Amino acid sequence: MKFKKKTATLVSFTVGTLLLATTALADIASKSGYEELKDSIKLTAEQTSEKYDSFTMDFSMALKDNGKTIVSNNEVGKFDRKNSASESLSTGLSLNGDKRSSQSYSDKTTVIHTSAGDPTFYVTEYTKERKEEIFSNPFKEEEAEDLEKIADALVGSLKDHVVVAENSDGSKALTGSLTEVQIPSLINAVASFQLKQEFNGNGNQESSMPHLTKDVFVKEVTGSAKVNPDGVMESILGTAILSGKDEQGTVHEISIEALFKVKDINSTEVSKPNLEGKKVIKNVAKDYSDSEISNPEKFIGKFKNDIVIEKDGKFVKVGERTLDITKMDNINVAGRYSETFKQGFENYASDFSELAFTAQIKKDQRGNADFEGTTKSGEKVRGNIYFSEYDGKVNFNIDNMNSPYAGGLMIDSSFSPDLD
Amino acid sequence: MEKVIEIINLTKTYGNGRGIYDLNLDIYKGDIFGFLGPNGAGKTTAMKIMTGLIRPENGDVKILGHSVVDEYEKAMAKVGCLIEIAESYQFLSAFENLKQIARYYPDVDHKRIDEVLELTGMYKFKYEKTKKFSLGMKQRLGLAAAVLSRPKVVILDEPLNGLDVEGMIDIRKMILSLAEKEQTTFFISSHLIHDVELTCNRIGVIYNGRILNVENTDAILKNYATLENYFVSEVERNGRVSSSAS
Amino acid sequence: MAVFQAALLNEIEKLYRKKKVLVAILLSLAVIVIGQLVIVGVRSGFGLRGTGSVEFPMLVLSVVVNTILPLFTALVTIDSFSGEFSQNSMRITLTRPISRFKIYTAKITSIVLFILGALLLLLVFSMLAGFIFNANSASFDSLGRTVFSYLVSILPMTVLALGIVLLANIFRSGIAVFFISILIFLAFKVLGLLFSQYSSLFLTTQLDWYNLFLVNSFPLAKIARQFLIMLGSGIMLFSAGFYIFDKKEF
Repeated sequence: MKFKKKTATLVSFTVGTLLLATTALADIASKSGYEELKDSIKLTAEQTSEKYDSFTMDFSMALKDNGKTIVSNNEVGKFDRKNSASESLSTGLSLNGDKRSSQSYSDKTTVIHTSAGDPTFYVTEYTKERKEEIFSNPFKEEEAEDLEKIADALVGSLKDHVVVAENSDGSKALTGSLTEVQIPSLINAVASFQLKQEFNGNGNQESSMPHLTKDVFVKEVTGSAKVNPDGVMESILGTAILSGKDEQGTVHEISIEALFKVKDINSTEVSKPNLEGKKVIKNVAKDYSDSEISNPEKFIGKFKNDIVIEKDGKFVKVGERTLDITKMDNINVAGRYSETFKQGFENYASDFSELAFTAQIKKDQRGNADFEGTTKSGEKVRGNIYFSEYDGKVNFNIDNMNSPYAGGLMIDSSFSPDLD
Repeated sequence: MEKVIEIINLTKTYGNGRGIYDLNLDIYKGDIFGFLGPNGAGKTTAMKIMTGLIRPENGDVKILGHSVVDEYEKAMAKVGCLIEIAESYQFLSAFENLKQIARYYPDVDHKRIDEVLELTGMYKFKYEKTKKFSLGMKQRLGLAAAVLSRPKVVILDEPLNGLDVEGMIDIRKMILSLAEKEQTTFFISSHLIHDVELTCNRIGVIYNGRILNVENTDAILKNYATLENYFVSEVERNGRVSSSAS
Repeated sequence: MAVFQAALLNEIEKLYRKKKVLVAILLSLAVIVIGQLVIVGVRSGFGLRGTGSVEFPMLVLSVVVNTILPLFTALVTIDSFSGEFSQNSMRITLTRPISRFKIYTAKITSIVLFILGALLLLLVFSMLAGFIFNANSASFDSLGRTVFSYLVSILPMTVLALGIVLLANIFRSGIAVFFISILIFLAFKVLGLLFSQYSSLFLTTQLDWYNLFLVNSFPLAKIARQFLIMLGSGIMLFSAGFYIFDKKEF
């Protein structure tokens, strides 16, 4: 009898432990619909950024108030990874009722942009081939893993709301829907507050967006996705309905729909727009990200600005500053600085009014150099010079410039090229 | 005579060398058995095993033919006991405490509860919570609980603890009358030798975990002036300790 | 069976005669009142609806199932075991003609009944509050799901109680048991968040398993797995706890 009781206890303990272990293992091994969804999104991002030669992404969203479209947007992006070319077409309806559409094309050397409101084709040509990937995998970013964990925690027990149906050809349909009872109240409250602020924030008077003030809540969230036999997501559709009342007490159901598609895998053709007979504005883009200025010789020459004083409540030009760059090769810079004054203002000239300088561009600091100079009387001066490729100007600063420049001369360290 | 309690080869040892070793003892119907021994001799250990609070390492105790190890429910069906300090639920009244116990016995009703409260002189405290009870009152309540189910066997560990003289007399009377009227068998441990002499009709001496001798009180008193003399000589005969043991 | 009933009746009597139960009831009601006040505040302050009549009980459940319900389950369980161990009042029951297995089972049954009572109380009052103070959003389906969610929560709470019973039998001090329980509870919660793919191993995750019954598609396989995990761990904890309880010396 004593033996029996001990055995029974031991057996039931073992049975319990085994039951726990096996089902827990089975549970860990089995994938919830949410995990399948995640896997498919990751795979899609990976394939599109690393494997497919070409594909088309189609993203569209619409915001409707009681069934009437208020805002809509559609973006079609065609990507040709092989040639690093992409084309995108964007159309939509903005909040104040305007229709808009724009189009752009980009490859290694060219970016072309045009829109419906302004049918000019803006062409930017790159002197150097760009190396950027046309579509990078967001899951390869550093924070992606942490963000995924946070998302997992937030989704929590909602994971099981994603239902997977497998078709005979191996493709899968994922669906999920949450009604108000199923959405945890806290999430619902935070989400509806967020959405309410979002909508009401840009709610100016002309806006067709209803101004919700009372009883705002997320009524329903649904989603569905199609995954092809390879596990890549072909389309995903999400809808959320926000319900609330405006100040008049009218009930509004605002639905937000978003549809994302990946299609024409390896059969997308990206074509450069035909610019013949179109109004075209061309410019050559510089690569500002480089650590060196491209063809630095362009800065050789004269740069000027006006010397101005304030007199009798007016600005009066009293002369000109001239910066004459005689040498510039991304390492060494040399030049002269001089000030010439108009008749009657010669008294403003000082010891600094004429000096010669040399400078060395600092390493990895594009166009930035400290100079050393000598005035006519042999005095040493120091300062900084910066060649701005962006606006074609040169900044020239002499240290301790304040004291000799007394007498109301206005300081201007920015010099424009003297091109006349 | 009918054996009511059989203690067979009972062994239970503790780390510090204390415990009981190979205890054998038979208690017969109608006995008021006095279990005598100094503190730490193993009285309480033996009684805890008898009432199922501790499991023996070896041996067994049979009460009315049922083993306390294997057939606990049957063995304890007709046993009432009080081990060490009388415990009660402090947030319940005396009556409610007894009612808790009464639920385990099908034929104990409210009338019987009143009866045992009357018997132990606790009736006037029936509805008072036991939190405020003195040690003596708790002991009386514990005794009431022990005899509540009209048990055939009553096991009492130091039943007179904390009682005043009046209480001791009351309880002694109760024990004697139950033994006489209802043929209840008592197994009582105590270190109060005089009291054991007055109450018990058979005496067993336990010393260092072993039974030294079992004898009828009458037979002892024939040969010794008092029970105390007998106890001291028994202990001395076994050559272990000098004079006083109490 | 009669002695088991007697023991169960005794345990229930002891339970409801203690102030803890009263405190539990008051606190449960306080949760409902405070919850409702918060909802009303959110509604008038932020213009959000907060909850509808059916969502309110679900909000209450989601809060209590992770806070006061485990807390009071722990307190009642510790009281029932550690409390009686330390005061030696366990002897009162142990020396009756009842086996230790029945005492153990009766104690656990009374705790389960306490949890059930608390859940029902919360259900009734949160529903009342939900209907009185919130816009009606009830449908027959959502109402049924709400009631069901409350009822199935008894399972994870029971497993939790069994875990605490085991701890109460291992450690002598009730305070130690209480703090160890809280530490384990929090550790499981955190681990469940960090290792969400293994979350079903951490028994605190199952406290939210009622959510599975809200899913439209009724994920039977998942529910069955969760049920078996709870059943397995329940049996395991029950046996381990009993093994120690049975060997205990009083």
